[in-house]
Amino acid sequence: MIEPTVSPASGRATGDMPMVEVRGISRRFGGLLAVNNVSFSVQKGEIFGLIGPNGAGKTTLFNVMTGLIPATAGRLIYQGQDITRLPPHRIAAKGIARTFQNIRLFGNLPALQNVMIAQHVHTHSGVITGVLGLPSDRAEEQRTREKAMALLDLVGLSRRAHETAINFPYGDQRRLEIARALALEPALLLLDEPAAGMNTNEKHELSAFIRRICDQFHLTVVLIEHHVPLVMGLCDRIAVLNFGQLIALGAPEMVKNDPAVIEAYLGAE
Amino acid sequence: MAEFFNTNGFLIVSMVLAAMLALSLYLPLMAGQLSLASPGFYALGGYIAAVFSTKVFVTDPNQPFPIPLVLLEMAVAGVASAGLAIIVGVPALRLRGIYLALATIAFVEVLRVLSLNLDITGGAVGIFGIPQPFTTQIEYLWVVLPLLLLSMFFVYRLERIRVGRAFTAIREDELAAGAMGVNPTFNKVLAFTMGAVLAGVVGAISAHFLNTWNARQGTFDASISYLAFVLIGGSRTFLGPVLGGMALTALPEVLRILSDTGGLPPWLGGFMKDGRLIIFGFLLIVGTVFLPQGFVTPALFERRRKPAPPPTTPTPEAAA
Repeated sequence: MIEPTVSPASGRATGDMPMVEVRGISRRFGGLLAVNNVSFSVQKGEIFGLIGPNGAGKTTLFNVMTGLIPATAGRLIYQGQDITRLPPHRIAAKGIARTFQNIRLFGNLPALQNVMIAQHVHTHSGVITGVLGLPSDRAEEQRTREKAMALLDLVGLSRRAHETAINFPYGDQRRLEIARALALEPALLLLDEPAAGMNTNEKHELSAFIRRICDQFHLTVVLIEHHVPLVMGLCDRIAVLNFGQLIALGAPEMVKNDPAVIEAYLGAE
Repeated sequence: MAEFFNTNGFLIVSMVLAAMLALSLYLPLMAGQLSLASPGFYALGGYIAAVFSTKVFVTDPNQPFPIPLVLLEMAVAGVASAGLAIIVGVPALRLRGIYLALATIAFVEVLRVLSLNLDITGGAVGIFGIPQPFTTQIEYLWVVLPLLLLSMFFVYRLERIRVGRAFTAIREDELAAGAMGVNPTFNKVLAFTMGAVLAGVVGAISAHFLNTWNARQGTFDASISYLAFVLIGGSRTFLGPVLGGMALTALPEVLRILSDTGGLPPWLGGFMKDGRLIIFGFLLIVGTVFLPQGFVTPALFERRRKPAPPPTTPTPEAAA
């Protein structure tokens, strides 16, 4: 087991300051407005759901939030700091980790290496001292390895630590991505369709697992998911996107009965 | 034995130098960057050594050139290569894949044309009569062999530490590496610079070893040769480039010796002697088609380390 580590970033947050604020974010691809003036904020410790039909702009919003694509307009405030223009690695270092909808593991590397890589910002061994293998560097290497192993254990993959990631079954690849994201010691975890391709039983397990890591690591979670029962059961609040626009925001029961949401999902009567 | 080393001194030292030049290409490749810039830095290092030893450190021509000065030139070449690599690398490494390869070829070509036209590099004639620190060529091993072992140790360790892992992450998926907190630009430039330093240092000692240095050192041909060392040797473990560089440098000589074997039909002997480049090219094609990972692959070592699991189904003999 891993002791819950409170990263300095999450420790500094006050009760009132939202974990992340999306302020009027837009993203245009040529003539397509993929995300259109979306605003919401996620409170610390929340499990926040982001739902909407295919092509609603959910993944684009994640990509903007992690710096992979720049926003056309709007600002992103993370724990009171403007992170709108930061490159992905700086955003990751601030404590925002993510998984990918179309899994993006380091496929040819063993599972253990995948998780060790994600500890990059929390390790400091340099080229010269690392090559020479000074005691402090060796100790850090050992800690990195042990922590990666513990995270693999957490997601139930420790027995496959030395297997190449690309050979894992789909569900295991998704779990490995979560382990890799947790290695960043994030305060905010963005999960892009973590339950995709899982059966009902696995979805229940995943739901319990997300709750557990959320408590254990003091995480705030934003997740994109299509499976409505999972989202309704798991999330504290839900935002609904349709054609890039935020059409509803609130508690699961409220969103479920919102006429605009029903129309977006089922079509107008 | 001593006879063998003395007559083949040039070849043996050349093999060691080739191994290091292959490693200089392997370093950026660790971070997924196909850079063919090594010959450019090799040429730069050579010119630095040539200019220093003929114009700056004027020593008694009847005495061997002092070895500490050679080492000093190598250090200067390394630092200069690092500086140039950072200046070139920051803009060039924004390009990916084949575009980076093209940009680095252009870089090598720019340096070549510069060296042809500058006064300090001796123009087309180049710089000749570079003083010798050793009396025989095989003695260069005293410098180049430790250098090779040092660079092999460096790369071996690099693959097992934080920085090397960051390189591998970028090679595997640059976007995911960024999202995991690895700075892609910094690490790509770092890998590129490491390769440049090695090529520059090798160039400095090569200038002494070859005695003359001109614009024929560090050309597009050399880029392709080094690439062949890495691709045929193997691009997934540092032993691949080392062995590839050595084997492909020795190959023409081996063929030449073999062609003198008695009893060979004259046409075959002649082909082995004169058709070296054809055989070389043929090997390149066959190698890349049938062994895309090269001759030396990481799997080779894993299999040896871990014994094969015992068969699960008992054989008739075992059951009896």
